[in-house]
Amino acid sequence: MFDRLRPAALCLFLAALAAEAQPAPAATKTSGAVRSVMDDTGRTVHVPAQVRRIVSLAPSLTETLFALGVGDRVVGVSDYCNYPAAARSRPRVGAPLNPSLESIAALQPDLVVAAKSANRRETVDELARFGLATYATDAHSVEQVLTSIEHLADALGIAEAGHQLTGALRARLAHLQQQLAGRTPRRVLLVVWHEPLISIGRNTFIADALRYAGASHVIETEQDWPRLSLEEVVRVQPEYLLFAGDHAAAMASLLASLPQRPGWRKLAAVQQHRTLLLDESINRPSPRLLDAIETIARQLHPEAFQQKPAPPTPAAPGFAALRSCAPAGSRTRAGSADWPVSAYAEVNRSRRAER
Amino acid sequence: MKPLTARRVWLICGGMLAALLVSVLIALKLGAVPIPATDLALSLARALVGAEIPADHQLIIFEMRLPRILLAILVGASLAVAGAGFQALLRNPLADPYVLGVSSGAALGAIVSLVLLPRVALASPVAAFLGAVLATTTVYFLGRRGGQLDSHTLLLAGIITASFLSAVIMFLMTTLPSSHLRGMAFWLMGDLSVAPPVSLSVLFMLVAAGAAAIYTTAADLNLLLAGELEALHLGVEVNRVKLVVYLAASLLTGVAVSVSGAVGYVGLIVPHLLRLVFGHDYRLLIPTAAIGGAIALVLADALARTIVAPTELPVGAMTALAGAPMFIYLLRRRMH
Repeated sequence: MFDRLRPAALCLFLAALAAEAQPAPAATKTSGAVRSVMDDTGRTVHVPAQVRRIVSLAPSLTETLFALGVGDRVVGVSDYCNYPAAARSRPRVGAPLNPSLESIAALQPDLVVAAKSANRRETVDELARFGLATYATDAHSVEQVLTSIEHLADALGIAEAGHQLTGALRARLAHLQQQLAGRTPRRVLLVVWHEPLISIGRNTFIADALRYAGASHVIETEQDWPRLSLEEVVRVQPEYLLFAGDHAAAMASLLASLPQRPGWRKLAAVQQHRTLLLDESINRPSPRLLDAIETIARQLHPEAFQQKPAPPTPAAPGFAALRSCAPAGSRTRAGSADWPVSAYAEVNRSRRAER
Repeated sequence: MKPLTARRVWLICGGMLAALLVSVLIALKLGAVPIPATDLALSLARALVGAEIPADHQLIIFEMRLPRILLAILVGASLAVAGAGFQALLRNPLADPYVLGVSSGAALGAIVSLVLLPRVALASPVAAFLGAVLATTTVYFLGRRGGQLDSHTLLLAGIITASFLSAVIMFLMTTLPSSHLRGMAFWLMGDLSVAPPVSLSVLFMLVAAGAAAIYTTAADLNLLLAGELEALHLGVEVNRVKLVVYLAASLLTGVAVSVSGAVGYVGLIVPHLLRLVFGHDYRLLIPTAAIGGAIALVLADALARTIVAPTELPVGAMTALAGAPMFIYLLRRRMH
């Protein structure tokens, strides 16, 4: 539909621009020029040269826009956009999967930004059909998250800010890589949802973020959000269970209940309280993903952060080692001597004290 | 029951058309973006005389709300007429357009197209329609007994086909890596937020053809109420009537499902309500079902757009929320 209507939408858009440019030389909406950029999903988007009003349909994009320093241009956000705090007071246009298109249109955006991971393609197509320039992002690795930020910044005409932001993020990644050099990756399972058990696939940016954090996911699937069998998890015995979500209270009570849950109590990670509760930043392909990566790295490899940066070893294995997968048994035992004292270990300890 | 005269049919249909007009105006007024009634009236008046309309009203009222309302009218009318047709055909008051596997076939078609041709937007409604046709054909041949369409066998064949296809859908949705399937949840629930890939006038002609075909059998359907054998003795070409109703109702359902997904309860509730009010005569029931279905879906979609605004509910959630309790009420009423 979109392909068929694109010329029509473009004509409408250009006609609207022409109509607007003639009567009022100082048109408020655009300066008259339009740039064609390609978004992450391969669609051509006709972006006004001056993007002053942006509607963001995904939490990650709202975070990215604020991090790029254009938070003041964000005139509308999705219901789930809760970070940074300033985003919460912006007009809402609905949930990412089913926003109100007329609410978006009423905000008269120069550009609507959507994420393939959060929004429906139908929404993007419909917005484009109504002549609203809509830019969609898509990222399946940490590197793609960074380049996606750069492309978006470029589309907004602030390429320099984009490179500054990603440059800083890349420096942090490189530093982390140094600190983790030579460490054996921890075997982890990331739990998106526990009942039914839903995890992540190998092609998600989350799986890639875990690799950067010095972890390897114990189960690799082609599906992005696989429903796993708990039996299989018991068989592969991850060293750590990582719980991702933004409902901290509910997740904390879930973690507390794991030792009593059938199946889960058979997991060494549960028995030995090697469970980490992560905030929503691991779920969001935004600059905060780096925070999540660093947090996870610190929890999984505390010893790497205690000492001074190790002297550069000859033939440092780097990520080649991080991505490798050594036999499981030896590492589990090797690691067990120095499990980190995490906030969750604290929670677990106090819970034990209650009993 | 009063005798059915042409005058009575026209009066009732005229009254219902007026009600439809009112519901369209209500639906034009309601939305996530508040538009004062006076502004709406002014814009409508300006549109009628061809004067210029403010750009934001032009977009929201005439490009976003109105086409969606027209789509709701066509889908609602299709489903209600198809429902009335299937109920007569199967002589089962519980029959609705989805019992015969039509929607499952359409959903499977849509999923397969999303997997094979994810980038072609037109593919999924077309595939949905083909899926509906395929499911309908399968059920038709399974539902024949001794070379004739047997109501009970047809109903069973439909239910079995529907559950089998649903299982295939579940299997595909669990195993496929595609992220395009996200929209399927809305589609399976019934959703009017996406404009149809063909123009509304094409849809209108398909719907009008299907409804007209069923209407031509209305007098025969009245006789069929007494039973197939009785109708046969009264000179009804039972097999031809059944085939016409089956094909036309399937066409209506296929069209509706391919543009809006599986919107439930409209085809079940609307004919029932109208039978309670106007009696069982299909010559009146079919036109009133068309208008009544349109009214029901226009209002349901207006609520779906506003009840949790700015988020939108799929319209199928709305029709189920309103339809299920209403159905229970009708059922209890029948028992007394």
